[in-house]
Amino acid sequence: MRGFIYFSFIAIEPYFFLRIMFAFLILLAVLFAFILAYTFYKRRMAGNKKIWQEKITNLISEIIFLNEGEPLPAALISDNKKLLLKPGFRQDIIDELIHAKKNLSGSFTINLVKFYELLELDQDSVRKLNHPKWHIKSKGIHELSSMKQKKYLKEIFRLTNNENNFVRNEAQSALVSFYGFSGLRFLNVATYPISEWQQILFLNKLNEVQPKELEVIGKWLQSSNDSVVVFSLKLATNYNCYQFYDVVIECLHHSSLQVKINALEYLKKMPGENLHDHIMGYYDGENKTLKLLILDILKETGSEKELDFLLKQLHHSDDGIKAAAAQTISSLHPLGSSFLQSHLFADEYPWKAIFLQIQNDHAA
Amino acid sequence: MTILVAEDEMIMLKTIELRLKKDGHTIILCQDGREAIKKIEELTPDLIITDIMMPYASGLEIIGAVKMKGGRKIPIIVLSAMGQENVVLEAFQLGADDYITKPFSPNELSVRVKRYIPERIQL
Repeated sequence: MRGFIYFSFIAIEPYFFLRIMFAFLILLAVLFAFILAYTFYKRRMAGNKKIWQEKITNLISEIIFLNEGEPLPAALISDNKKLLLKPGFRQDIIDELIHAKKNLSGSFTINLVKFYELLELDQDSVRKLNHPKWHIKSKGIHELSSMKQKKYLKEIFRLTNNENNFVRNEAQSALVSFYGFSGLRFLNVATYPISEWQQILFLNKLNEVQPKELEVIGKWLQSSNDSVVVFSLKLATNYNCYQFYDVVIECLHHSSLQVKINALEYLKKMPGENLHDHIMGYYDGENKTLKLLILDILKETGSEKELDFLLKQLHHSDDGIKAAAAQTISSLHPLGSSFLQSHLFADEYPWKAIFLQIQNDHAA
Repeated sequence: MTILVAEDEMIMLKTIELRLKKDGHTIILCQDGREAIKKIEELTPDLIITDIMMPYASGLEIIGAVKMKGGRKIPIIVLSAMGQENVVLEAFQLGADDYITKPFSPNELSVRVKRYIPERIQL
């Protein structure tokens, strides 16, 4: 059949084939032009970025060393008027200022904040804070917090109970970074859980100060938010708040296991007069984790008076509890582990392993 | 005194340069570890200030390279955000003379640098 091009068993008219080829070539040319234009655009952007970076570095290093009270040179703004209107340039300045502030200490950071305010970069951060997207909102809060913009406290405070975890965490951290312990007042209204990580961050930040207004912890201990109660117990333990002993004892009957665990941690550090009677009475109705914690408290703070109770625990069905009770007895009894050996059949399972463990612990 | 500063962050590099220039020092700037090692061999500065986390070669590698080189002892001040005990100890074990953790005050750096000025320069 003449006048046709054959591909395997498909026959294509030559004119149609040429049209396909032509279309394909045009497509290729368009693709090539797009790649070229995109590469050019990227290069130009990278070039701009480099120029911006240099300008920003010069701007910031110029203002860092200004003396206290010395005004920021007006030329800094007038020379860069056009650039300062570009949102990308402004964002780069904010990022660099935050970065410099993180790396520098002392009076130099005051100039960085002054510069941030002079360029009205706080307005850019506030715009981000009001943005509907959570990651932009978080960035806005982070910027305001890093540059110590306390004047936006109201806006940040209402985000401490935001439904988004990241926004909430950022806003809560900002408050603590502004006001230290007083910044924790968001706990009064917190309905969402405060993550374990967030609690560690707060404790770490608050570690260096001894706050005066500790009474407020009592209120948080009665919060309907379990994570607030847990965090308050950690605060009370950290700051040695003996005044909350009775409230903490009540926490032992809380519905949350974590609250009970942290309440026992508090009691271990600050045992009251009637603690042992209280926790021994409470012991039976609780699960293994809490039983082990109670045995640990008795080991650390108990006396021979608790030996009868502990001897009963040696007959518990759970080997872990048997071992913990045996360890507690060996540390409380005047005869130590030898008392246990005379009292029980050392050759029987699991006693042989338990005695060995106790002896190793004593040796260590 | 000629001071080589190795730091990958431009803003920090510039800040350190401006502060130390105020004290009358000559500053050599390097933005990565490899460049710093090369310049140390070429120019033999009187003091080295180095960050730890840098591209191509870390500050610890710079200390190692300087100490391996032998010859005149060049004091090294490490300036890093890494304050962990093991990193600080490693830096000192390798031969660092001082360690400053970020955030730092450029004025404090200036005072520490003065401790390494040879007597003839101080006079």
